[in-house]
Amino acid sequence: MTYSRLAKRFRDHFWGIAFLLPAVAVFCLFLWTPIAKGILYSFMQVDFVKGNHYVGLDNYKAVFDNSVVGIAVRNTIFYMLLGVVIGFWVPSIVSIAVSELRWCQGFMRLIVYLPNIVPAVVLYGMWQYLYDPLGPLNQILGWFGAHQVMWLTDKSVAMLSIVLAETWQGFGSAALIYLAGIVSIPKDLYEAAEIDGAGILQRIRYITIPGIRHLYVLLFILQLIGTSQGFQTHVALTGGGPNNTTLTYMYQITNEAFIRFDFGRAAAMGVLMFVALTALSVLLYSFQGRSKAA
Amino acid sequence: MSKAARERTILSSYDLRKPSVKIGYGLMLLALAAIAFTMLYPFGTTIFSSLKTRQEIFVFPPTFLPKHWTFANYSEGFQYVDLGRSFLNTLVIYVGMATIPLLIMGLAAFSLSQMKIPFRKTTTLFFMSTLMIPSATYLIPSFLNLQSLGLIDSYWALWLPAAANAFNIVLLKSFFDGIHKELFEAARIDGASEIRVFLRLAVPMSLPVFSTLLIFAFTQTWNDWYWPSLIITTPEKLPIAPVVYRNITQSVNIPLNVKFSVLTVVMIPPLAFFLIFQKNIMHGLNLSGVKG
Repeated sequence: MTYSRLAKRFRDHFWGIAFLLPAVAVFCLFLWTPIAKGILYSFMQVDFVKGNHYVGLDNYKAVFDNSVVGIAVRNTIFYMLLGVVIGFWVPSIVSIAVSELRWCQGFMRLIVYLPNIVPAVVLYGMWQYLYDPLGPLNQILGWFGAHQVMWLTDKSVAMLSIVLAETWQGFGSAALIYLAGIVSIPKDLYEAAEIDGAGILQRIRYITIPGIRHLYVLLFILQLIGTSQGFQTHVALTGGGPNNTTLTYMYQITNEAFIRFDFGRAAAMGVLMFVALTALSVLLYSFQGRSKAA
Repeated sequence: MSKAARERTILSSYDLRKPSVKIGYGLMLLALAAIAFTMLYPFGTTIFSSLKTRQEIFVFPPTFLPKHWTFANYSEGFQYVDLGRSFLNTLVIYVGMATIPLLIMGLAAFSLSQMKIPFRKTTTLFFMSTLMIPSATYLIPSFLNLQSLGLIDSYWALWLPAAANAFNIVLLKSFFDGIHKELFEAARIDGASEIRVFLRLAVPMSLPVFSTLLIFAFTQTWNDWYWPSLIITTPEKLPIAPVVYRNITQSVNIPLNVKFSVLTVVMIPPLAFFLIFQKNIMHGLNLSGVKG
């Protein structure tokens, strides 16, 4: 390539590259560097005073030997399962119902999305009150003659309480995504099905649900990825207790880093998280591919 | 939505004449009303509990409206937090969030969408592949990285990393893709510089997506409590959410009615923002939802 052609190419591309440069720099500096450093640190003892030094697989061994990590993994899987059992189906059913509303539909959309707008710190205060042993929820249970529930301090209930609170505040955004999908299903499909004698439940079963199938898959994966990394509500409402029953994996990572100041181990746990989530999404995608082919 | 599209949904008006369907529809309405109630009730209790006396919060049976309207809770609550200062801090952070990351991401998206660049595929991959990596992997290293860059306790540690968001670049790019190339070509032939084309044509034509991102930036700046509390070490520089988290939510000494007074005040700006911009927000949600 001659010099003049190079110069021409440079002139043609100059502004395009110039526009990209800030973003490339920011991505390198604040995303790719931490990712690379995370992998690097996972093989190191991070020490701000004496400097970092290579320790091989020691961090990983320590993670696998730590029984608290085992508890955290079990809690996280339990938390993900509860989230699916309690939270996953709610938004799709609500959105089908809301799509059938002939009036107040806009109002209902607004209300359902409301908890997404309110700061989490306000919601934490709200749930501290609602879940108080003497709070409104227990008083309502009292009317029905049920026993008091120690929502946040009973080992077998605490995680459930967190999932209930998060479902309440999170299902609105998923419901709106389903709703957008339901609205875009062609109406003549229902018309044709009705003429052919399909009942209402059959229409939902064979038209509505297949119509938003891709959203089910997408939101399922997004929910699993989201809940596998959840920890902020746990920090705020239970502090990981009682007796580590709400300590999640991500929570344990922050504990290793900011309480034990063992950044190498925290980095190793982060890398393991990446491996686990990649394996999970590969599994889910291949499962989806197979069920499509069938 | 046009009237024709609204004519029927899963149910037709013929279905609704059947008594069994009428009952089912009625039950569905009741269930939705119950959901609406459970959505609104906690907000109601937060607001009204902030006006109750200490004793009334836990009386049996619970009251919804306060018996004695106690406005003193508010003056007591404000003693525990410097709301004015943290509000100003939040505002400063938001101004940065609304300009710096949006400009960086907008320029990159415009370049990817409408300009001549070499290695387009590689560059796109460079941005997009970050979406595959969970934040758990780099949360702690990010903190150490900001530390070694000397950005801890600086608002730049919030502004600059916010621009490293591949999802928003996709969103912006898909919007720019929808604009006819000829328009930009015409401006270029008329002698407009690329920066002018971007600022005077591309940005004004993409106001919906920019306003969506501005709204998201607001809720994020106002609501995020965890990350700022790690990054900003001087208490006087903290935005409102971590300040309230530390001094109110996590406090064991402040009675609930006083807590609720501060929480009510913190809740009002985003609620007002939401009610004012609800059309744009709902539109923006559809925009980002369709992209998935």
